[in-house]
Amino acid sequence: MSPTSTAARSFIARARRTLDVAGHTGNLGLLLVGVIVVFSLLNPTIFPTPLNLQSIAYAVPEIALLALAIAVTMSSGGIDLSIVATANLSALAAATVSIALLSSGTPDDVAAVAGIAVALLVGIGCGLINGLLVAKVRIAPILATLATMTLFSGLAVALTRGTPLYGLPNAILALGVQTVAIIPVSFWLLVVATILIWAVMNRTGLGLRIILVGASPEAADYTGIRRSRVLLSTYALSGAIAAFAGILMSARSASATADYGSSYLLLAITIAVLGGTNPLGGRAPIVGVSIAAIVLQAISSGFNGLHISPYVYQIVQGLILVVVLVVEVRRGRLTSWIQRMTKRPPADGAALTSEPSRSPNITSPDTIHAAGTTRA
Amino acid sequence: MNSVAGSLQPATAEGYTMTDHPIVLRARGIDKSYGGVHALANADLEIRAGEVHCLAGANGSGKSTLIKILSGVEVPDRGDIIIADKVVPKLSVVGSISHGVQVIYQDLSLFPNLSVAENVAMTTRVAGKARIISIPAARELTITVMKRLKLDFDPDVLLEELSVAQRQLVAICRAIANDVRVLFMDEPTTALTWNEVGTLFEVIETLKADGVAIVFVSHKTEEVFALSDRITVLRNGKVVAAGTAGEFDRDSLVEALIGRRELEERIVSGGVHDAPVLEVTSLSAPGLFADISFTAHAGEIIGLTGLMGSGRSEIADAIFGIIPFTSGRVSVDGRDIRSGDVASAIAAGIAYVPSDRLTQGVFLDQSISRNLVASSISSFASRLGWLQPKAIREGVDDLIADLSMKVGSPADPVSSLSGGNQQRVVIGKWLATNPRVLVLNGPTVGVDIGSKSAILQILRQKAAQGITVLLISDDVPELVSVCHRVLVVRRGRLVDEIVADNVTVEAVRERSIA
Amino acid sequence: MSDLIRSPRFDLVRLRGRNNEGVLLGIIVLLVVLIAIFSPGTLSIGMFSDVLRSSVVNMALALGVLLIIISGGIDVSFTAIAIFAAYSTVVLMRSIGLDNGILPFLAATVIGALIGIVNAVLVAGFKLQTLIATLGSQGIVRGALLAFVGSVYISSLPPALAQVGDARLATIGGSAVSVLVIPVILLAIGLSAVLRKTMFGRSVYAIGGAPESARRAGIRVGQVQTIIYIAAGAFSGFAGMVHVALVGHASPFELVGTELTVIAAVVIGGASDTGGRGSVQGVALGVLLLALIQNSLVRLGVPGFWHTAFVGVVILLGVAIQAQSRRRRNKRSAILESSVTA
Repeated sequence: MSPTSTAARSFIARARRTLDVAGHTGNLGLLLVGVIVVFSLLNPTIFPTPLNLQSIAYAVPEIALLALAIAVTMSSGGIDLSIVATANLSALAAATVSIALLSSGTPDDVAAVAGIAVALLVGIGCGLINGLLVAKVRIAPILATLATMTLFSGLAVALTRGTPLYGLPNAILALGVQTVAIIPVSFWLLVVATILIWAVMNRTGLGLRIILVGASPEAADYTGIRRSRVLLSTYALSGAIAAFAGILMSARSASATADYGSSYLLLAITIAVLGGTNPLGGRAPIVGVSIAAIVLQAISSGFNGLHISPYVYQIVQGLILVVVLVVEVRRGRLTSWIQRMTKRPPADGAALTSEPSRSPNITSPDTIHAAGTTRA
Repeated sequence: MNSVAGSLQPATAEGYTMTDHPIVLRARGIDKSYGGVHALANADLEIRAGEVHCLAGANGSGKSTLIKILSGVEVPDRGDIIIADKVVPKLSVVGSISHGVQVIYQDLSLFPNLSVAENVAMTTRVAGKARIISIPAARELTITVMKRLKLDFDPDVLLEELSVAQRQLVAICRAIANDVRVLFMDEPTTALTWNEVGTLFEVIETLKADGVAIVFVSHKTEEVFALSDRITVLRNGKVVAAGTAGEFDRDSLVEALIGRRELEERIVSGGVHDAPVLEVTSLSAPGLFADISFTAHAGEIIGLTGLMGSGRSEIADAIFGIIPFTSGRVSVDGRDIRSGDVASAIAAGIAYVPSDRLTQGVFLDQSISRNLVASSISSFASRLGWLQPKAIREGVDDLIADLSMKVGSPADPVSSLSGGNQQRVVIGKWLATNPRVLVLNGPTVGVDIGSKSAILQILRQKAAQGITVLLISDDVPELVSVCHRVLVVRRGRLVDEIVADNVTVEAVRERSIA
Repeated sequence: MSDLIRSPRFDLVRLRGRNNEGVLLGIIVLLVVLIAIFSPGTLSIGMFSDVLRSSVVNMALALGVLLIIISGGIDVSFTAIAIFAAYSTVVLMRSIGLDNGILPFLAATVIGALIGIVNAVLVAGFKLQTLIATLGSQGIVRGALLAFVGSVYISSLPPALAQVGDARLATIGGSAVSVLVIPVILLAIGLSAVLRKTMFGRSVYAIGGAPESARRAGIRVGQVQTIIYIAAGAFSGFAGMVHVALVGHASPFELVGTELTVIAAVVIGGASDTGGRGSVQGVALGVLLLALIQNSLVRLGVPGFWHTAFVGVVILLGVAIQAQSRRRRNKRSAILESSVTA
C-alpha cells in the first residue's frame, strides 16, 4: 500500500469520524446560527437586538427542560406523555406549600426553597408512579403515561378547583425575571441543568444503563442489568426534570395553574426528536435537545417579529419534525454507504466518551425488524 | 476437500438412477455472491417427489441462500431452476407458490394474534386474491388439512396460546393447505424439544407418503440420518457430497460437513485444581430437565452436549437464572444462587455467553466500549455512580488486547465487527466481571474458522488462569478439542460422562446419540 | 397425539371475550347497578340518551383510531383532521352559498380522506414511526386550518345543516337522541364487518400482529397501510362534521386536545398498543364506559373539578387490566408449552 493512498484513506476516515462525532449536535449548532442570521437579515431592526434575544432566552428554558425529560425517557425506549401535567402538579404543590408558609410568617427564602423541594418531590413521585406502571405493571409507556397525564392534571384541577394560585415567594418569582450578565437567570439554570443531565446520561452508570436498556431490553436482561430498577430511575428523573420546568413556568407567569402550557407536550416531543433523540431508544443527545429548543424558539420569535401568524409557525414546527425524520431515514442509508466505502480508521482510544456512530435511524419498527432478519 | 467428496458417491446422474421417483425441482449450476463473497458456487440440487431430501451443512454453508433462490426470494447470478422439466427463467415468490413450492422459515412467519384456522388459510387467501373471506371456509380447510396430517387442533384457538411445537405444526398445515409439491423446512427442530421432534417426524412421514417432496435443512447429523432418503451436503457454498442416505455413514457425513482438515487438535492442560467451584445438585425444571448433578473445578473446561432439545441449553439458562428451576441447587464456591435470578448468578461469579449473539449477546448499535463495560458498570464507576473514563479506556484497551480483537476504534458500533469479533466482545464483557465460572452456549456458531480456534484458545487460556468453563455445544470436534470432561444430556437427563483420554470425537458422538 | 395438541378452552374465557369485552360489559352493568343503589333518583332513561349523545362524536373518531391501532400504529392527528375537514366545509358552504344537509357530511369525509393521504405517505412511504409522523401532521393540519382557512368562530351553520344537527330520532326521558346516531351506528357495523369479513380487514390484523410474516405471506403491507390511513382520515372528517352539526356552530379550536380520551377509549375497549388486537364492539363499550362515568359523576354530585382525576383513574385501571390480561395470556401459553414436554 502506497503512503499516499494510506494518507488519503486516513484523511477520509478522519473526516468521517469528525462528522460522526460532531454529528447531529454540530449540525444543529449550524442550523441555529443559520436561523439567527436569516432572521437578522430579514428583520435587522428587531430580531438581532439584545432585548429580543433576551426574550427568546426567557422563553426557552421551560420548554427545553420538558423536551429533556422526553429525551431521557425516549433514550430508554419509552416516552413520558405526562410531563406537562407533572410540571403543573409540581408547580401547584410548590405554590400551595410556599404560599401557606408565607402566610404563616415564614421568611421568603425559606418558603421558596421549601416550595422547590416539594415540587421536586412531587415530580419524582409522579415519575415513580409512571416507572412502576411501565416496569412492574408492564403497561406500554405511551399508554401508562397517557393515563397518568389525565390523572395528574385531574389532581391539579382538583387541588386548585380550577383557579390559578398567586402570591408566590419573591425568590421564585425572581427566577422568571432576573438576569445575570444580561442573560436571564432561568437560562443560566437551563445551561446548568443541561450539563447536569448530560453528565447523568453520559458520565454515570445509571445513564449508561438507561441507554443500554433502550438499545436492547433483551440484551440488557442477559447482561444482568436490572431493567425495572433502571426504568424506575428513568421515569423518576424525567419527573424531576418536569418539576423543575414547572417551577420555571410558574416563576415566569407569576402564578401556578392546572392547565398551563397545554400545547407544550407536542412541542417538547418535536424538540426531543429534532435534537437527535431516537424514539426507539439507545441514544441521549442532551446538548442537541437544548440547542433544538433554542432553534425552535428563535424561529417562533423570528416569525413573530415578521408578523407571521403563529399558526404558520405551527405548520413549520410540524414540517420540521417530519422533514428531520425523513432526512434521518435517508441519511441512515447514506452514512452506511459511506461506511462501506471508507475503511475503518485506526484505534485512537476514544472510548466511552463519544457517541456511537449513528447507524440505526428513526424508522418504523417494521424496517428495523426487516433489517434484523437479513442475516443469512 | 476433493478427497472427501471423492470418497463418497459423487454428485452425478448415475447416483440417482436407482429410484423411480420423478424429479420435481432441480437447480443446475447455481452461482450467487453477495458483495464479492461466494455464497453458492455451481450448486446442483435435485428434489424428487415423495422423498425427504436433507440439505445438510454447517452455518454459512449456503443452505439458506439456496432455499431463497429456489423459492424466488433471491435471484441467482447464474444457473437454471427447472420445475417439472421446464426451465423457469425468472422465479418470483408468487411464481414459486403457484408451482407448489412452500417454505417454512425458521421463525415460522405466523400470526400470533389470529386463530389457527386463519393462520392456515392466510396464504391461500392471498394467493386466491380473495376480497371477502369466510371463517367457516377457513375452519373447514384447516380441519381437512389436519385430517391429512392426523392432527386434531381446535381451529378457533389463537395461535399465541399454542406451544412452539404446535405452532410448527400449524406452519406445516398452512404450507400444505396450498397445492404443495415441494416443502422446504429451514431447521424446523431448532426450537423443539426431543419429544416434539418426534411428532414433527411423524408428520413428515405422512407428507412423504402423500408424494410431497420435503427438503429438510439441518446441520445435525443425527436428524439427517433419522429422516432422509437422500442427502446433499453443502460446505462453503459448494456441493461437496450428494447421494442416497444409504451411501453415507456417520463418518463420511461428518467429513463432508466439516471437512477432515478442520478437525481441531485436542489440547487440554493438566492443571485442574481440586477445589470445586460450580456445584450443581439435583437440578430440575419440569418438562425441561431433571436431576442434573455435576461439579466443576477451578481451571477445568467441561463440555455439556446432547441433541437439540435434549435440555442442554435449558440447563445453562437455569444456571444463569434466565429459567427458574423448581428443585435442586446451584452454587459457586459454596454460595447458593436464587432460582430465576440473573443478578444473584452474576453476583456469585457466573458469566453467560448466550446462544443468540445478535439479540441477547450484544447491543448491536452501541459502541464496542459500551458493550465491553455493560456487565460491570458498577466497577467502572465511583461510589456515587460517576463513570471513570480513564479506567474504562484502560479496561477496554486491556480487554481488546487480551482477546486480540480486531477493532478500528472502541467507539465504533459492534455492528461493524465480524461475527467472531462480536463474540469476543460478549466474552470480553463477561471477563470484565472477573467471573469464577464462564458458561458459553454455542459460542462458535456462525463464526469463521479462524475466529473459532481463536475463541477456543481464549477458553484454554482463561481456564489456565483458574476460571471454570462450561461449554455447551453440539459441535463435537470443538468439545474434543478443549474439554477436560464432556457431560452428555439426553432427554433432559445427564446420561454419561466422558473423562480424560476417553474424550474422542467417536466417543462423544456415539454416546450423545445412543 | 390428540390430547397433546388440544388446548383447554374454558367457557369463562369465551365469555370474557378475546379483548375483554365481557369484562367491560360487566363493569358497565356494575356501574349502572351502583348508581341505582346509591342514587336511585338519577337513574333514568334520560341518562342513557345523554350518554348516547355524548358518545356519538367520540365513537365516530374512535373507529378510525381503532383501524390504525389494530395495524400496530398510533394516531394523534385525527382530531386535527376532523376539525379541519368540518370547519373548512362550513367555510366553503358559506362562501359559495350552498345549503344542504347531506353534502357537507360527504365533503368533510372526502377532505378527511385527502388529508389522510399525508399520513399514508409518511407511514407507508417514508416508514416513519406513526406517533412521530402523526404528531407532525397534527401540527401541519391544525396550523394550516388556522392560518389559511380561518380562525374565527362561526356561530350559525347553514340552515339545512343546522336542521340535521337538531333533528331528533326520538326523545327519551326528556333527552333528545340525534338522528346522527344512525349513520355512526351504521359506520360502526360496516367497519366491524369489514374487519371481520374482508381480506383487507384480516390483513389489518395480520400486519398489526406480525408485519414481517404478513410480507412473507404475500400481503402488500404498504398498500394496506395506505388504505388504513386514508380510511381513518375519512372517519375523522365525518366525525368532525357530526360534531359541528351537533354543537350547532363551527369553531376551529374545538376537538383538538380530546385525542387522548378517544385513544384511551379504544385501548380500554381492548385494542392492544402493540397491534393486532381490538374490535368495534370493544371500542363501543370503551366509549360508552367513559361517557357513562363522566355522566354519572355529574349525576352523583361529584364536584366538577374532580372529574378529570376520576377519568384518569378509570383510564389507568382500564389500561392496567388490559396489560395484565395480556401477561396472563402469555403465561398460560408458557404453561401449555411445558405440559407438552413433560
